[in-house]
Amino acid sequence: MMRPVKTYYPILPVIISYGVLFGIGIMVPGKWQLVSQLAFYCALGQAFNLFMGMTGYVDFGYVAFMGVGTYGMAVSIYYLYDKGLGLGLIVIGLILAAVFSTLLSLAVGAVALRLRGAYFAIATIGVNEGFRFLIEGARIWNGADGMIFYRHLKTAFGKQTAMALSTMWADVMVFGVAVLAAVLTLIYMRNKVGYALTALREDEDAAKVMGINVTKYKLTAFITSAILAGLLGASAWALKLTYVYPEDVFEIHYTVEAIIIVLLGGAGTLLGPLVGGLIYGVSKYYLSIVLPGFQLLIFAPIIIAIIVLFPEGTVGIFKKRIFGTPLEKYII
Amino acid sequence: MSLLKVENVTKRFGGLVAVDDMSFEIGHGELMAIVGPNGAGKTTMFNLINGVFPADEGRIIFEDVDVTNYPAYKRAHLGIGRTFQIARPFASATVQENIAIGGMFGAAGSEINVDEAMELADHYIDLIGLKPHRDKPAGGLTPIEKKLVEIARALAMKPRLLLMDEAMAGMNPKDIDEMVAFIREIRDTEGIAIVALVEHIMRAVAGLTERVIVMHQGALLVDEPTQVALTDPRVIEVYLGRPPEETHAEG
Amino acid sequence: MILEQLSGNLVHGLVLGAVYGMATMGLSLIFGVLQVVNVGHGAFIMVGAYTSLMMFKAMGLPPVVAIPVAMFIGMALGMLFYYGAVKPLVSPSGSGIRKPGMKGFGIAAGSFVALMVIMRPVSLVFHLHFAISLFVGIIFLYGFLLYIYGGRRQEKAPELTTLLVTFSLGVILEEVVKQIFTSEARGFNWDIGKLDLGITVLPYTKIVASLGSLGIAVLLYLWFRKTRAGMAMRSVVEDDVGARVCGVNVDWQFALSFSLGIGLTVTSGVLLTMFIPVGINPYMGGPYTLKAFVIAVLGGLASPYGAFFGGVVFGLVENGSYTLFANIPGLEPFAMTRFFSFVMLLVILLVRPTGLLRAK
Repeated sequence: MMRPVKTYYPILPVIISYGVLFGIGIMVPGKWQLVSQLAFYCALGQAFNLFMGMTGYVDFGYVAFMGVGTYGMAVSIYYLYDKGLGLGLIVIGLILAAVFSTLLSLAVGAVALRLRGAYFAIATIGVNEGFRFLIEGARIWNGADGMIFYRHLKTAFGKQTAMALSTMWADVMVFGVAVLAAVLTLIYMRNKVGYALTALREDEDAAKVMGINVTKYKLTAFITSAILAGLLGASAWALKLTYVYPEDVFEIHYTVEAIIIVLLGGAGTLLGPLVGGLIYGVSKYYLSIVLPGFQLLIFAPIIIAIIVLFPEGTVGIFKKRIFGTPLEKYII
Repeated sequence: MSLLKVENVTKRFGGLVAVDDMSFEIGHGELMAIVGPNGAGKTTMFNLINGVFPADEGRIIFEDVDVTNYPAYKRAHLGIGRTFQIARPFASATVQENIAIGGMFGAAGSEINVDEAMELADHYIDLIGLKPHRDKPAGGLTPIEKKLVEIARALAMKPRLLLMDEAMAGMNPKDIDEMVAFIREIRDTEGIAIVALVEHIMRAVAGLTERVIVMHQGALLVDEPTQVALTDPRVIEVYLGRPPEETHAEG
Repeated sequence: MILEQLSGNLVHGLVLGAVYGMATMGLSLIFGVLQVVNVGHGAFIMVGAYTSLMMFKAMGLPPVVAIPVAMFIGMALGMLFYYGAVKPLVSPSGSGIRKPGMKGFGIAAGSFVALMVIMRPVSLVFHLHFAISLFVGIIFLYGFLLYIYGGRRQEKAPELTTLLVTFSLGVILEEVVKQIFTSEARGFNWDIGKLDLGITVLPYTKIVASLGSLGIAVLLYLWFRKTRAGMAMRSVVEDDVGARVCGVNVDWQFALSFSLGIGLTVTSGVLLTMFIPVGINPYMGGPYTLKAFVIAVLGGLASPYGAFFGGVVFGLVENGSYTLFANIPGLEPFAMTRFFSFVMLLVILLVRPTGLLRAK
């Protein structure tokens, strides 16, 4: 007998939500900027949740994967713009972003994933800083001067297309990353990977004794999450802004935002990062107008309050409420 | 051919020798106990057998495979199952998922997909009689129910050797008798060797096992059939102290 | 030439290393007793730096005078944060408080609405956004009130949560300081002369900072070894259950160690400004967090003295590697040194994880 909960239905609310969000952005004039920002937060949450939510490990250096992903796209456009590759340039950029973030996640994972809890956090907290200073210190890819490549993009695609790429298609790609992250999360949840991750999140020693190769599954989640971050950086930062500075793309505040989003929505749930991303994005937007400069000051205590009082997050609480109702099979 | 062979295994923690030159064998389908007072090194011995940490010296051979340097998960794949002293089911996962995880990753794991593991879990849920709790998170169960879930989870791994750490600690005599009957039943139906680890409850040891290994200060003291072992003067001395001037062992 | 440079830099490294060591002792103390890694460590150093800056600028008092003040501020902050945020997660006896029910929720909602009315949203367009942030705000205030009026009893929380909480505490401090002092980098100049050692010139301020660090480390050592209170705290590090059985009030020891650890960290911020009296800004703590982790891991994480010696080693290595990088053309020595400390952390964690984990 198949249990209804083991289906792929829960992807529906996610797809519908992104569809509606996208629709609002297209239909309502002047809202695209806000909508794309919200999509960015949702994608960030979805990607981060795939590792933090599923394994219970906090990667404080997570933004480093977005940073190297940004550089992947930047390097492709900056150095290959005159090779006549057409849209291949963007494809290569995305591939490079994935490759860079995979390599970095392998390097970091090789050290950090052997370690537990606090030691893992200690090992990861310097990754973004470390990488930033490697780029600046060894003057890789122009070092601290960064790369500015709108001109290159224009030469490669012409003014109109370059404009469309950075103002429209970059944001569409962010939506793509968000959906991809959600789909991957659900696929993981429905397969052995997901059960292995649940087990090791709850009790790593017991998981080992159950025959679970914890390192393998942790690494799987870590690399997947890193690649998604790389793609997000490549689209939301490199392609959209058409410049990259090491001090911007390795900024730890993006890790903080990812943590807030995941916790707000509910760590380890599928819908959580989406809900968290929307709540965070909208409140931040609102606060930036009402109380500019106070956003982090307001959100940091919220993290603490959630951890102490509502560790399940919004979706986690909602899930409990709908247990046993027909809604149950759509929300995880 | 024996199922498990432990050869001269030693484990030290800093200056403390937790397991000291232990050697013994366990046969297929055998039902036995490792007993000993608190601090005798029983749990350490278990951890060495299923690979929570490696032995400093000696070899551990399981079904003719030298597993001394195998990590815990590989030993689980070969067929060594384990329950913990304080039951540790995965709290956020449901009872069914908990048991299914055992099936998915245990000895039969490579041939079982998620759906099959869920069906297998249902079978064991019936066996332990927790059907009403199937879809509840395991974290909310009573300690005895958690223990049962853990046993079912270990059984779903399809082990050939099951190590049960203090399966009956904290139970009243009635529960102990039920548990003894239950463990005997599993041994007979599943045909697996079971090693129970017991600190105090001699009632359980006598009723349950055919053979007993008594550990004392990390070393093997007695390895005899149950009735012989329990009347051995050395065993009595370990548990009760030397009469008359010395005091009895600590509770 | 390079040797001369190196020996000069090593002297600076040794002197700075003592300060680094002292700046890490608080981290190790808190980890040793509470098993909590203070991820917001650097922010507390920043608070110390501002204490020193303000006392110098506003009252003309030298940083030496700021040391006891910083210790006091730090211990007070430590107590506040311990009871405000850390205790429900680590306390062996749980928070043991009651749930406030709808009354607390009402108070929270009411006070937030009041707050928002005062702030007055810019226009009607924001009503939807207002509603959502209202919701978020209510969660926040509800949580805050639960602390004051009671909350549910908690099991000891997993490590993850303590990391996130200490991290958030750091962010809160940074943001508060930013609101007060803006994010502009500040500095001051306390000049009491220089000592010429031949190979290099050392300002007396650095020597004072270094000796001060050593003095505090020695005091802490004596306090741990010779006083009842210190021994009680040590007993908790060894075995908190055992300590409780022996009549030590573990809850209070947790509070005290957290407070003392934060106090030491804030004080170290003052000492660091004697070394580098410029670049004081709300986000200056980040690099120090990373350095403190390297040092703490070097010294075995749970041992304050280990941390002190780790700091000295780190100071020497950092300045030594700076000299090296400065002599390789095409490299930015400052950035490379910081990259190097990150690599060092990974390497130590890679080659000695067992040794580190043994330190518990």
